[in-house]
Amino acid sequence: MADEQQSGTLAPDVEGTVEPVYRESARHRFTRKGTPYFFIVPAVVLVVVVLAYPVGYGIYLSFMDTDVFGVTRFAGFEQYVDMFQNPIFINALWRTAILVVGTIIIGIVFAMLFALVLDRVRWGGSIWRTIVLVPYLISGVAAAVMWRFLFSPTGGMANPLLGFFGVPPLSWLGDPALAMTVIILANVWFISPFATLILYAGLKTVDPVLYEAADVDGASATGKFLHITMPSIAPQFGLALVWLSFASFNMFDVILPLTGGGPARATDVMALLLYELAFQQLDFNGSAVVMVVLLVFNVVFSSVYLMVVRSE
Amino acid sequence: MSSSTTTAVRSQSTRHGPLERLLQFGKRHFIWLPLAFTVLWAGVPMLWALSASFKSPLEVYAVPPTVLPSDPTTEHYVQLLGDATFWVFMRNSLVLSLFSTVLAVAVATMAAYGFARYAFKWRHFLLIFILVPRLVPRVSLIVPIYQMAQGLGLTNSYFALIIVYTGTAIPLATWIMVGFITAIPKDLEEAGRVDGASTWQVFMKLVLPLAVPGLLTIAVLTFREGWNEFPFILALTTSADLRTLPYQLFLLLDSAGIQNWPLVQAFTVLSILPIILVYLRFEKYVVSGLTQGAVK
Repeated sequence: MADEQQSGTLAPDVEGTVEPVYRESARHRFTRKGTPYFFIVPAVVLVVVVLAYPVGYGIYLSFMDTDVFGVTRFAGFEQYVDMFQNPIFINALWRTAILVVGTIIIGIVFAMLFALVLDRVRWGGSIWRTIVLVPYLISGVAAAVMWRFLFSPTGGMANPLLGFFGVPPLSWLGDPALAMTVIILANVWFISPFATLILYAGLKTVDPVLYEAADVDGASATGKFLHITMPSIAPQFGLALVWLSFASFNMFDVILPLTGGGPARATDVMALLLYELAFQQLDFNGSAVVMVVLLVFNVVFSSVYLMVVRSE
Repeated sequence: MSSSTTTAVRSQSTRHGPLERLLQFGKRHFIWLPLAFTVLWAGVPMLWALSASFKSPLEVYAVPPTVLPSDPTTEHYVQLLGDATFWVFMRNSLVLSLFSTVLAVAVATMAAYGFARYAFKWRHFLLIFILVPRLVPRVSLIVPIYQMAQGLGLTNSYFALIIVYTGTAIPLATWIMVGFITAIPKDLEEAGRVDGASTWQVFMKLVLPLAVPGLLTIAVLTFREGWNEFPFILALTTSADLRTLPYQLFLLLDSAGIQNWPLVQAFTVLSILPIILVYLRFEKYVVSGLTQGAVK
């Protein structure tokens, strides 16, 4: 490697040619051409081993069928047909949809509110940003433990708080609709700080001259928000929505410790079903089908997003 | 509020009636209400857990619950910190996060340098090949990776977990690092080469020192992912010797029967404390890293 600088990559440009002016030995040529590969090969190998190959292997598994004797045969789309006729899988699709839609609606409103607060508050420095961001730093399991405790019938905060307003105690994690509500709230708490950060970065880019001009024209706060703030941060708003839906669609860490998918599969989303099929029912082929469906959604969704962004 | 703004309000309010004065006051202080909501929303679940971790097992079941422990006790912290298995979980979390962070930073920085500074065959394809897997959610990989690890006899090993943590961190880390290295002027590297430094020397002695903010950014982000990781440790380990803090926290909760909430919450607090301290120390890099990773 030591003699590389003589062998051409950055050789002085002699009379308009970038080719080395001397005859290059095969070894030099190999070193020169090989340098960039030397730098990127470790990353490529790791991505192949941990990401590309497993994705391919998962797709392969989804087209196979393993019987009770451990004999594997090619099954074509059988597993897919089975899965889409399985009420448990259809249930998981619906539960995932409810989680994603619920999180997006509450999450984007909260994230916008938090971002505006962070942008407007003039004192306290970065302390507010730190407080807002902390839920995103901790593990999903820790977030789940905190939320499970908040809604716990013993020692929890939700029931006494509602009791103060005369609401009788509720069995939050024992009721299907309430359990999903708790999951959505915990999910918003866990992932919306990142959306807040994205929107906050967007708000910082809005030209203050626009607001001053609007003030001169006597615009209302709502008018300024709708006609100046929102159009200016449209890309970040889109990005925040994408983040909230991606993170919710693939959410696993918060849900397994919080409800484990229950009660009665009310919070049994796709990621949980994938885990349950593989590690509790040992149906790796079925689980691989769920994995492929997850991946297809992610790819389609991001492609649509990219097309929308490019067309703007 | 400074005296000059107070006089400004006063002089305005002499022109307007008391209603305008009230509106003016409301507008000026309206930020309080949303700010209070923001802080409570983010802080209450954590403070409720923190408060419970200092309560006695009896007090946590008091009806109505006490906001602050009436008789604060550190018994749960003492119990955990004096328990050798707790330190095994802590060690596992540290080993996995630190090793994967060092590896990912090294590999991603090298790759980013290759992409930022060289034109070569397949460059575009390889760049996309490394970046696109960002779209692959980790949880979706647990099945194939578990089967691969099982086939290779690598379940219950640090090695497999470190490789998996490193590999899943590469796309984002490379993405962020390409941006940092592209922003470094090339002049210094060219001068270094003229002085006879090899490519590797240029990379180590001239590029890396200038890339330190980028290195810290991807290091903190990778460390956070490793520290909090849950699906892979769940899928790839059965041995208690390899459990990390999140995994053990999950098991504490999952055990049937009545929860020992104060102990569970003390465990929660101890498990999130290190990552919060890391964040407070490197806040600037985390925020810029997260924002760049999202916006680019």
